[in-house]
Amino acid sequence: MYGGGNVFEATKFDNLQSEDPVKLAEFEARIARGEKIEPTDWMPELYRKQLIRMIEQHAHSEIIGALPEGTWITRAPGFRRKMAQMAKVQDEVGHAQLLYSAAETLGKSREQMLTDLINGKSKYSNVFNYPAFTWADSNIISWLIDAGAIVNQMANAKGSYGPYSRALERICAEEAFHLKYGHDAVVHMATGTPKQREMIQAALNRWWPPIMTFFGPSDKMSTHTETLMRWKVKMASNDECRQQFLDMYVPKIWELGLTVPDPKLKKNQETGQWEYTEPDWDEFKRVINGDGPCNAERLAVRRTAEERGAWVRRALLNPKAKYVKPLA
Amino acid sequence: MSLKSLDPRVTRLNLPEGEVPPMEEKPELDQFETYEAFHQKKEGAAHTYVGPVHAPNEDVAFLFAKEQYSRRFPCVGLWIVRTENIQVTPYGNDGENVYDMLRIEEPAERTEQPEPYEIFHLKKRGKAHTHAGRIMATSYLGALQEAKQQFGDKGPIVNVWIAKSKDVLQSAEEDKDMWTTIPEKKYREAIAYKVMDKITKYKEENKPTTAQ
Repeated sequence: MYGGGNVFEATKFDNLQSEDPVKLAEFEARIARGEKIEPTDWMPELYRKQLIRMIEQHAHSEIIGALPEGTWITRAPGFRRKMAQMAKVQDEVGHAQLLYSAAETLGKSREQMLTDLINGKSKYSNVFNYPAFTWADSNIISWLIDAGAIVNQMANAKGSYGPYSRALERICAEEAFHLKYGHDAVVHMATGTPKQREMIQAALNRWWPPIMTFFGPSDKMSTHTETLMRWKVKMASNDECRQQFLDMYVPKIWELGLTVPDPKLKKNQETGQWEYTEPDWDEFKRVINGDGPCNAERLAVRRTAEERGAWVRRALLNPKAKYVKPLA
Repeated sequence: MSLKSLDPRVTRLNLPEGEVPPMEEKPELDQFETYEAFHQKKEGAAHTYVGPVHAPNEDVAFLFAKEQYSRRFPCVGLWIVRTENIQVTPYGNDGENVYDMLRIEEPAERTEQPEPYEIFHLKKRGKAHTHAGRIMATSYLGALQEAKQQFGDKGPIVNVWIAKSKDVLQSAEEDKDMWTTIPEKKYREAIAYKVMDKITKYKEENKPTTAQ
């Protein structure tokens, strides 16, 4: 489970002038009543575009996120860990399938989404542009990146679009073991030999800055954001998600005697808010736009899989086949 | 120069390093046609919609759906229908009954042999379509009319899907053992990880003592 879908630039806001006011009012009334939107319902262009972007980026994050963990399957210490790591990676790829289908119901084909991913036109969660140097890095991803994603996805599952909610419900159910698996792996290292403790602390030090950018920069509270929140496309602000993550996981890191590499990190008892060193958003922008340690490798690996499998798909294709959008 | 990775297997792919020309657009239907999958959670339960798969034919769609939708949780049956073979009514509002909103004309011709149709109901938006039952009819429209008579008064129904039974690939009774999972697969369940025990033990052993 790799969310973080809210971190990228938003669709241009056309202030809804071009939308039919009667249909728009009915659409908004449906959401206000707490009803879900289904694929054949009328919906404003902004709603459709924003959801395609979010769900597509979420799907890309699942398949790209499987790469840094996938490379650790053969090197995971012991048979049981290999099996568990493999099951987790398989789940993540399955989640991508679910999400691509949900985005497809909004009118963008899987072919187009995959082409856009490989050509750098659509993004995935920026954390996967960083390398997993050791087994301990893989453990930190399994625990804390998944934890961050769960915060995000629990919120989004309550969103207004039926197919996305259905996909997220299934994803959240399958995820239950990932978080425990990741936590267990980190606890094993943290309560092990001095060398193991050193390894897990080093991995935490490497991953903390990307983790802090996982939810994206503070939202600009624009009319655009307000509209998306009213339409239940965006369910919580980036800062709210970050605060919730810190609330739930910093104590769990501390109880293992590990150090979070941010001297300013503390909970302000008066405001109830966590204070921290502002993440390096310039680096975030640079990396998301292609200049990170692993961007080229991630896309090259994905592209190779696409290209080397193409002849198999061509051979299997039924010439009479025609495209039909999934129903829900 | 080829791309160097921390993962030796990636390095061995000899991928080009540096700028590469954009990939050509994937051809249409590269991801195959669309099928819808319905699973049965336990004996006697109605088949429920789980989601779509893309596959080159029905049999492969079944395999993909088995992997995608019944890999992790109990399942005793799976149905696959090609998406284009499902007829869909308009969606009603929550709480409404879509059968009451539709004017279903009596089909004029009644000469053909009736055949079985499967009817699926959506009770609330955002939930999943569930199998309501099988009826006999000579057309989709006739099936809708028959379904209204047989199942139409069962509370709110916001949407109906109809498929001919012959278009539904159903898992066979004797194949149910494909879902039998070996007990050693507990590592896929959260309960298998006794994290708290390890943390408690660690804290016990590392209690700060005043003597030190």
